[in-house]
Amino acid sequence: MAEIFVLAEHRQGVIRDVTFEMLGEGKKVAEALGADLTAVLLGSGVQDFAEKLKDWANKVIFVDDPKLENFNAEAYQKVLSSLISERKPVLTMIGNTSFGLDLAPALAVELKMPIATDCIGIEVDGGKVKVIRNIYSGKINARMSFRDDATQYMVTVRASAFPAPESAPGLGGAVESVASPLTEEIDYKKFIAYEEAAVGEVDITAADILVSVGRGIGDVENIPLAEELAKVLGGVVACSRPVVDKKWLPKPRQVGTSGKTVKPKLYLALGISGAFQHLAGMQASDLIVAVNKDPKAPIFSVANYGIVGDIMKVMPVLKDKITELKG
Amino acid sequence: MVDIIVCVKRVPDTSEAEVIIKDDKRAIKDADLTFDINEWDNYAIEEAILKKEALGGKVTVIGVGGEEVNEVLRRCLAKGADEAIRLTDPAFDGSDGYAIAKILSAAIKDLQYDFVFTGAQAGDDSYGVTGQMLAEILGIPHATMVTKVDINNGTARIRRELEGGLEEVDEINKPAVFCIQTGLNEPRYVSIMGIRKVSKKEIPVKAAADIGISADEVGEVGSMVKLEEFSIPPAGELAEMIEGTPDEAAGKLAAILKEKGAF
Amino acid sequence: METEIAENDFIQRYDLYGCIQCGKCTGGCPVSLKSPLNIRRLVNEATLLDPSEAAQGKADLIGDCTTCETGTLRCPNGVKPSEVVIGIRGVLIEQGEMPQTVQEALESAFTKGNPFGRAKNKRAEWAADLDVKNIADGDKADMLYYVCCEASYDPRAQDVAKSIVNVLKTAGVDFGILGNSEVCCGSEMRRLGEEGLFEELAENNMAQFNDLGIKHIVTTSPHCFNALKNEYADANFEVQHYTQLVSNLIDSDRLKFTKSVDKRVTYHDPCFLGKQNKVFDEPRNILRSIPGIEFVEFDRSHEKSLCCEGGGGRMWVDSESDANGRQSEVRVRDAAEMGVDIIAVACPFCMLTLEDAVKAEELEEKIQILDISELVNQAL
Repeated sequence: MAEIFVLAEHRQGVIRDVTFEMLGEGKKVAEALGADLTAVLLGSGVQDFAEKLKDWANKVIFVDDPKLENFNAEAYQKVLSSLISERKPVLTMIGNTSFGLDLAPALAVELKMPIATDCIGIEVDGGKVKVIRNIYSGKINARMSFRDDATQYMVTVRASAFPAPESAPGLGGAVESVASPLTEEIDYKKFIAYEEAAVGEVDITAADILVSVGRGIGDVENIPLAEELAKVLGGVVACSRPVVDKKWLPKPRQVGTSGKTVKPKLYLALGISGAFQHLAGMQASDLIVAVNKDPKAPIFSVANYGIVGDIMKVMPVLKDKITELKG
Repeated sequence: MVDIIVCVKRVPDTSEAEVIIKDDKRAIKDADLTFDINEWDNYAIEEAILKKEALGGKVTVIGVGGEEVNEVLRRCLAKGADEAIRLTDPAFDGSDGYAIAKILSAAIKDLQYDFVFTGAQAGDDSYGVTGQMLAEILGIPHATMVTKVDINNGTARIRRELEGGLEEVDEINKPAVFCIQTGLNEPRYVSIMGIRKVSKKEIPVKAAADIGISADEVGEVGSMVKLEEFSIPPAGELAEMIEGTPDEAAGKLAAILKEKGAF
Repeated sequence: METEIAENDFIQRYDLYGCIQCGKCTGGCPVSLKSPLNIRRLVNEATLLDPSEAAQGKADLIGDCTTCETGTLRCPNGVKPSEVVIGIRGVLIEQGEMPQTVQEALESAFTKGNPFGRAKNKRAEWAADLDVKNIADGDKADMLYYVCCEASYDPRAQDVAKSIVNVLKTAGVDFGILGNSEVCCGSEMRRLGEEGLFEELAENNMAQFNDLGIKHIVTTSPHCFNALKNEYADANFEVQHYTQLVSNLIDSDRLKFTKSVDKRVTYHDPCFLGKQNKVFDEPRNILRSIPGIEFVEFDRSHEKSLCCEGGGGRMWVDSESDANGRQSEVRVRDAAEMGVDIIAVACPFCMLTLEDAVKAEELEEKIQILDISELVNQAL
């Protein structure tokens, strides 16, 4: 029977959410293709993970090797290319994450298998797989198909694009251990360490109220305006990626996939357009208010309330009005 | 001494602009859009020049596309790149990330280099694959989402950005490809005077035949994926919009926040 | 590289041997009251030192100058101190020493045709419902209304553009705009020190004006007006500030007022219209023609008008000297003492700086900042 591979992603002893999101979506695609869903797990001492994944897939195959302890795209590529060449899955799904992007494109080239990255939709049309990719700053969806002669495909799946099922579908798949094809350590690319970006004095994940600023703040000199607003609200200041790139605020203040995921009671998004990487880090907040110049900014599609306007004009007045109402 | 090749792309800025799909649903209307060096590539060229300034060596910048790409290449030369090469051929049109990687590798394979820098992704089609595929074709290692590069003799110690504020430190031997993430430096300004100073510098143009790649390996026929059509993403449920002047809107919002018990 | 040496020679470029160090420039410089920037000393250093030495360590301070040209006006020997400021800024830009906000403004003006990082294809959004001719799209018109980046993108300044459109339409003027094809005039880029970018923008604009056969231009902003009139080489078009055109329209009875504006109004002369181009009478003529207006003059008016600090690149520079107060705040305090209801302005920068000052001084209940075109509209 045809197979779909979903590569399980884990780090520091935790299976990452994108794995379950892919398994949830992979089950649907497998049904449409009349294929079995196989979870593929690489690592060192990962048998427990394999047991955990068996209710999510028709089969779990795992490769346990101390040389796979920490993620190394070179080692992973060798193992996966061997597995895929042997088992010929019709579709291989990998997370469009820092891990997946380091691995999948080179793997696809090695296998001469067409790859579509950063997919937010996977469709089966007449037995062929097609994907939806979200491009041009999130403003366009592109439906794409694969090279006509292809019979196997690879996709990387955007994190948070598909909901993870609440619970395992109870597929009760068999767990199969496969011997590692790695014979020696990779010496030209070595994993050294994980490092947490320096922890700041403020933990934005613990705050009930976040005043989060984006590129629209315009200048580091305007950050105090946001701080004053946060102060009257009893919250703290967070930000989107461009603000950290410009070094206006330190990395620990960043909300989004490459920063912190936050769920405050109130998230005030000021001058943040709402790239998906940012939305993924804050859309679970209880109440979201967005202020942005662009009425079509994606942030308005996750916000409860919105104001189209210049944050430099809105922020100071809002601070005054709140102070007034507090009495 | 370190020789670095940097691959750059000219892309439309769609961050705030209205994006309109053409009637054939296979392209966007770009007449009213403005173009610039891809944001990630801007950090990549800056990092290469910083490395050259610190260690000595040479920076070569390569772009694929028509004559308009010269404006991006010239700005890179003005910033401090030593050489620029433009890869131009009608056969290159419609290339996906894979076909672009093949084109670049054909041009790079005969050049002298220690490292190749690319942006981690492009702001237009967001494939995020070119550097990794290029490395695979060249048969050398790579790292993506690179936020720090320290080069010491033949080895680079790099940082990769992971999710959740975590970073990974790796050591990679040269030659290698690094796909650069934004934020790892502060790209410099290059004045028009600076650009004019390099305006006479010749930018060699190479076609498919010059770099030894055949037309069926590039363009749409040489690509892995095919575009079927563009559409506008379905609008989510939109926020309740608060109208009025900034003063009025801020006042209404303060009242809503109070009612919701935010303070 | 002989030419380069000559280019970088401040003495030749700015004719600095004319400076007798009398100090009249600094004596009249409003910024010298709040900032350590001393314009006389600066000119002296530019004369004695190599340009890069003269610029050394001045990255912060040099941003304080608003290029209002008070010093130029007061110089007995025709030296232009504000040009020396621009020259020093140019040296600093070549060395990469500038605030990030300035870098972004310059890059945006270069790639997007406006210094605010805004999308080119949203430039004409303000005019979407106004049924205005678009000359760049092929519409024919006698006159080009050149809107300005500020009035195209800033919501408050957009109101000014809209009111100018309405005034011109009411008077039956045959005009059009360039829509999304309008590009920054470069005036502020030049004053930030990016002479090359100014030349580039000017060349592009000239080419567009010539292609479209434009012979007559009217501007919202005194800054665009000054650049197009005095700094565009080989210009073969007539350029007017809108107050000049509207004053004519009133005098020739093409614009008739039907309503009264019963307010006490003063007028704030924009430096780039008044001091630098001697357009003093037309704005006053308009205000005096509007029924009901009780017009009063600032003590510091005409050539002596106090700069609002909105120009000369100050939009992108945060000056430490602002901790000692802003001239715009002095201006609105003066107006409050005069008991005026409205400060009339004729420049988008003055509009924004003075409106901010009204808020800072908490005078919102007492004083309104309105563009002259908005007052005209109220009376139509």
